[in-house]
Amino acid sequence: MDAVFVSKLKTLLDALAEKMDVYVPAKASKHLVFTKYDPGSSPAVEFNAVRTCTPVKEFLFPLRETAATMQTQAQVPALKAFAVVGLKDCDVRSIAILDKVFAEDDFKDALYVARREKMFIVSSDCTEPAQTCFCALFEGKGFTEKGFDLNISPIKGGFIVDIGSRKGHEFVERNSGLFADVPAALLEERDANRAAVQQQLERQSAEFIPSEPLQRILERTQDSEIFAQLAKDCIECQACTRVCPTCHCFYLYDGKQQDYFTKMKIWDSCMRFGYAMVAGGANPNKVLGERMKHRLMHKFVYFLERYGVNMCVGCGRCIDADAGGIDLRQVLKKLGEEARLQKTERAK
Amino acid sequence: MNGNLYQPISGRIIDIIDESPTIKSFVVEAESPFKFATGQFIELTLPGVGEAPFTPSSSPKQTEQMEITIMKAGRVTGLLHECSPGQMVGIRGPFGNGYPVNGFAGKEIYIVGGGVGLAPIRSLFLTLVDRIKDFKKVVCRFGARTPDDFIYKKALFGPWQKINGVDIKLTVDKGDGQWTGNVGVVTTILNANDVDVKNAVAIVCGPPIMMKYATIKLLEFKFAPDTIYLSMEKNMSCGIGKCGHCMLGKYYVCKDGPVFTYEQIRKYPKIWD
Ligand SMILES: Cc1cc2nc3c(=O)[nH]c(=O)nc-3n(C[C@H](O)[C@H](O)[C@H](O)COP(=O)(O)OP(=O)(O)OC[C@H]3O[C@@H](n4cnc5c(N)ncnc54)[C@H](O)[C@@H]3O)c2cc1C
Ligand code: SF4
Ligand code: FES
Repeated sequence: MDAVFVSKLKTLLDALAEKMDVYVPAKASKHLVFTKYDPGSSPAVEFNAVRTCTPVKEFLFPLRETAATMQTQAQVPALKAFAVVGLKDCDVRSIAILDKVFAEDDFKDALYVARREKMFIVSSDCTEPAQTCFCALFEGKGFTEKGFDLNISPIKGGFIVDIGSRKGHEFVERNSGLFADVPAALLEERDANRAAVQQQLERQSAEFIPSEPLQRILERTQDSEIFAQLAKDCIECQACTRVCPTCHCFYLYDGKQQDYFTKMKIWDSCMRFGYAMVAGGANPNKVLGERMKHRLMHKFVYFLERYGVNMCVGCGRCIDADAGGIDLRQVLKKLGEEARLQKTERAK
Repeated sequence: MNGNLYQPISGRIIDIIDESPTIKSFVVEAESPFKFATGQFIELTLPGVGEAPFTPSSSPKQTEQMEITIMKAGRVTGLLHECSPGQMVGIRGPFGNGYPVNGFAGKEIYIVGGGVGLAPIRSLFLTLVDRIKDFKKVVCRFGARTPDDFIYKKALFGPWQKINGVDIKLTVDKGDGQWTGNVGVVTTILNANDVDVKNAVAIVCGPPIMMKYATIKLLEFKFAPDTIYLSMEKNMSCGIGKCGHCMLGKYYVCKDGPVFTYEQIRKYPKIWD
């Protein structure tokens, strides 16, 4: 893989901002959220050591967007190319998951695809993972090797910029004056940094490694009491599905503007009572615990069966956001223990 | 499929037919001829109000106009019932898989339906009748709450019964003064010797409770699970396997269905809820 060196992050961001809208992580109270970068007035930009609080999906699948209009000649403004900087490995893998649904399926979501084509991904290594990061359970390493245009690794005296795509190459070539060659010693140092973070991630997830595939565990714990217990802690805020970078349920909502009609595409949540209700009131998931179970089944059983990958990257955002104090790692661990007990009991 | 699949094409309601106290058929003309396979569904938008999935009840051969039979069940359907001819609507689709009619050739076809479930069945029936020689026979067992609740009364009580190769029996939950037919739920008119089970397929469409008991009965008759075709109703929004609402196990009912064999879905919990 080709790589170059740059001593200041701002140099890179300013170059990106010449042709694209650029979004960078910035502190909002104590949280990191993506904010539009302004080369003129921004204070020094800091490297984000860990993922943002908000999920990257909002760039491809906004909370609310116009999906269709009727009876209007209004022109949709052309989308501008945009770069998102500071995506972590978990974020990049979350995009690969959304791509499967919206861009790689035989039915494409034209809104998503249009945004995806305009997106320039600048990922970066994790240097200080959060306590709640459990990406190690889902092949995460704290750095990413594919799915980005550029990737930055902080290193003594500056940043190593890896080039991951044709778009990335074109950008670096166009701005070749800004970049230097990477000294081999720095690459070695980077590898050592990465290995240390990866080890830390593995350590903090060690107690949660399931003894058998999550799919098997969930299939066997369908009747578990755990779901009803969980429902007691859940306050139905739906934050878990909002901050989840892979959750992608939405609802088409018809509305009216002054002189034309709209169909809005708005995030929905399978944790909502009426989510699966049909006319007449029938509802397979009336009970909160059943909805919580559905969420896990979708992530670790149904999505896997359909797309060959778990619908979870282990970013831990749901744990940080959960107002009821529910920790997905603990839930999966408890279910795993229950499945193991069942197995030994059956063996007796 | 490409393009913006959330964008409806526009259409117009050109006629409305009262079918029963709660059900009307809407004749809809799309801005351009509209093709679909029998059993596929559309998303019908009442602009500014909402969208809901319906299975056209007309023959797919008829592409200039399609008929949609709608039961008043809630907000969108309630407001549709208040519309008059001339009303503009939006149409997305067709979506889903429809009935594998070609695979039914040479077989006896056992159709069990109830209530507004006769809407998709009418489209299928017209398709089958069109090439009736391809099938050994078409046996229909339909139910409604009362005689007045039957839809397509004119065709159902008369011409359809006279078609060669077609055998229709009807039942109502509750009769009236004139009703001379069977009284009882639809499973009471299902008999093991209605068809030659070994060379038959069954098609079931109706309220979930009816589908459940009809399926149980068909299994008792020794229908193989992969010969029972069920039209599943789930909450839907996108119609294209994205929004998640219609999930039934790993399936999206909108994209992989709405027609499933019992074999495909039997292992999942709560299929009838
Ligand atoms: C594949 C399929 C085929 C069907 N075929 C037929 C048929 O041929 N005939 C028939 O009578 N019924 C059919 N149904 C059932 C029919 O779709 C429902 O009766 C209908 O959706 C009820 O809508 P409602 O708004 O009247 O009911 P409500 O109970 O008020 O709402 C039910 C649903 O309407 C939708 N909705 C509500 N508000 C909005 C809004 N602002 N924008 C967009 N959507 C909104 C939501 O999905 C909501 O969950 C079919 C269902 C399916 C899944
Ligand atoms: S989950 Fe892993 S990849 Fe994501 S921020 Fe935490 S350490 Fe980085
Ligand atoms: S209706 Fe959206 S996934 Fe089926």
